[in-house]
Amino acid sequence: MSDLPVTDPRLADIEAQRPYLMRYAMAQLRDSLLAEEAVQEALLAAVEGLASFQGHSTLRTWLTSILRFKIADQQRRVVQERSRMETGDADSQDDEAWLDALFDETGHWRDPPQAWANPEAALEQRRFWETFERCLERLPARGGRVFFKREVMGEDTDDICRAEGISASNCWVILHRARLGLRSCLELHWFGTGTADGA
Amino acid sequence: MAPEDDLNCRQASRLLSLAGERALTEGEVRALRLHLDECLMCVNFESQLRFLHKAAKRYFHG
Repeated sequence: MSDLPVTDPRLADIEAQRPYLMRYAMAQLRDSLLAEEAVQEALLAAVEGLASFQGHSTLRTWLTSILRFKIADQQRRVVQERSRMETGDADSQDDEAWLDALFDETGHWRDPPQAWANPEAALEQRRFWETFERCLERLPARGGRVFFKREVMGEDTDDICRAEGISASNCWVILHRARLGLRSCLELHWFGTGTADGA
Repeated sequence: MAPEDDLNCRQASRLLSLAGERALTEGEVRALRLHLDECLMCVNFESQLRFLHKAAKRYFHG
């Protein structure tokens, strides 16, 4: 960016969005090198295209939409690479086996979900978000990515499956596993006995 | 004990999760309701799913 004339005050505003964009890219790519690359490409594209930014949306929304394209490019490359090495079915069998372990032979919870004390209050606590982040990071890579696209971006499940190169039912299993994994991690590390108040 | 065609927790939790992806059929909704009437653990799971959805949105969008 140093070659470009630093006359537009919005350049600093763009740079200020970098941490947010990094977090956004990390959640989907789960690889800091790939994420940095995508963010860098997005910021460069934004600076070059700043004239076309009309201010109808917020700067962050505009930058995020550019970043989405860059992330999609990265993911296409990654998926192509991965599909040469493994098949989606093997992964899904692994997810099914993981789910099996959560329930006994009659289909009852081995580790029954507890009533969480005052979850709304947790949302206001910084330490809760640290726990949430750690739990997200522990999800299997693909589970975390699919969960993010579905729950945060609200992307259509069919589109997500297509991008991941897997069937709809495998996609559901992956999402289900991610939710169960996140649930049990939060229960263990936050909502469990004695930690519900974050103390 | 529950009749054999009743849902167990494994099936009920799967349907609860699936409800986020597609509309459940009438039969699925009925079976799920019957199960939730009697299973506090799956009721807990249902509220946790809603919480996760909310927390995930909040985490990334502030």
